[in-house]
Amino acid sequence: MRAFDYFESKTVAEATKYLLDYGETARVLAGGVDLIPRMRKEDFKTDCVVNIQRIPNLDRIELDSGKELRFGAMATLRSLETSEWVRKGYPAFYEAIRQIASVQTKYMGTAVGNLCVGTPASDVATVLYALGASLSISGPEGDRTEAIQDFCTDYRCTSLRRGEMVTGVSVPPMKAGEGSAFVNLVRTHADIAKLTVAVSITTEKDVCREARIAIGAAAPTVFRASKAEDALRGRPLKAQTIDEAAQIASGETRPISDLRSTAEYRKEMTRVLVRKALEKASVAAKG
Amino acid sequence: MKKEIVTFVINGQARDLIVSPNMTLAELLREQLDLTGAKKGCEIGECGSCTVLVDGKPTLSCSTLAIAVRDKAILTIEGLAQGTQLHPLQQAFIDHGAIQCGFCTPGAILTAKAMLDENPNPTRQDVKEALGGNLCRCTGYVKIIDAVMAVAEGMRQGGAK
Repeated sequence: MRAFDYFESKTVAEATKYLLDYGETARVLAGGVDLIPRMRKEDFKTDCVVNIQRIPNLDRIELDSGKELRFGAMATLRSLETSEWVRKGYPAFYEAIRQIASVQTKYMGTAVGNLCVGTPASDVATVLYALGASLSISGPEGDRTEAIQDFCTDYRCTSLRRGEMVTGVSVPPMKAGEGSAFVNLVRTHADIAKLTVAVSITTEKDVCREARIAIGAAAPTVFRASKAEDALRGRPLKAQTIDEAAQIASGETRPISDLRSTAEYRKEMTRVLVRKALEKASVAAKG
Repeated sequence: MKKEIVTFVINGQARDLIVSPNMTLAELLREQLDLTGAKKGCEIGECGSCTVLVDGKPTLSCSTLAIAVRDKAILTIEGLAQGTQLHPLQQAFIDHGAIQCGFCTPGAILTAKAMLDENPNPTRQDVKEALGGNLCRCTGYVKIIDAVMAVAEGMRQGGAK
């Protein structure tokens, strides 16, 4: 690994100062599961590593008074997986983490780190899109909040500006009549998914009031299948409605062919996975 | 880049060592301390053969900067036995033939230890899931799981932990 300047920050303000000073060759070290191997491979130039592991309270997981789930940038996947609030309150989020095979990755890796990597094949990002999560960002010009779909701007790109870092994530409470589901398609859970789908639907007397359909590994970023969502809103959640929405979602993908799958297969399987996820979520919505 | 003298706590012993920030924990253990139990397998965090315990948590030493774990309790396979008395997991791996080429063994044993410390009553499925990040290229998984289950069984019967 090439040499770099190393800083262990005690506060977010201190960390963002280094990020500002070094600009685009500064890296934030949270869990390190993505960063360290990529630094060794020299995927990118690194002049500075800012370790945020010892910033107090950044690993917290809490439910605020409005029952919104909040977790900090150092909350590991393992600590989220073992949180009762996550397991009981957000079963799709729990499932997305549970099915990750490597326990070492879960003990070390953070959910925020995973989002900042900006990979379209992120199970964690996909489920957080479906749950309507937003990110808290700190930087030289103060704090801001951004919806997750605005944060992931392109393949491995985020909206972070020079000097900024993500400090945490907020997930709104599940509403009455809301059901969610997570499904992915993998050869083995030790590998990155070929395709990931997470949905959240809110129903009232079997009529869909709100729908969020998130798809991972089928475009340069995770994305919301907004036309498919429109096709569900205000309609009864029957098999035919679900099939139609799944078909529309398939048409919204822009997949590539790579070693894990062909574009054609990803497109076809989007239809299948979205249907399965919607069926599962509509059962969950009934409570 | 500055080299620094940093205190590490490795297998219960505090050691002052000279490190540069770009040194991984695996490099520190293997190249400075001759603790070669942690293997460099894939070196991209996929195989689990470099696993050590940091404050009891299974950690990929190939993907960890050494300097970042200063002051934390690092346990490697070399620190597991008490003198000549093997840890029950080490003995069980031998008894069940859960060692083929041996490359994955230190990581698998340490990951299993972390799991048993947290969950002394695992099901077979729990053991499989706990070892999901430790690849055995000899594919000797059944015997590894048998060995871990045997230790859990022994603990249930009040045997040594």
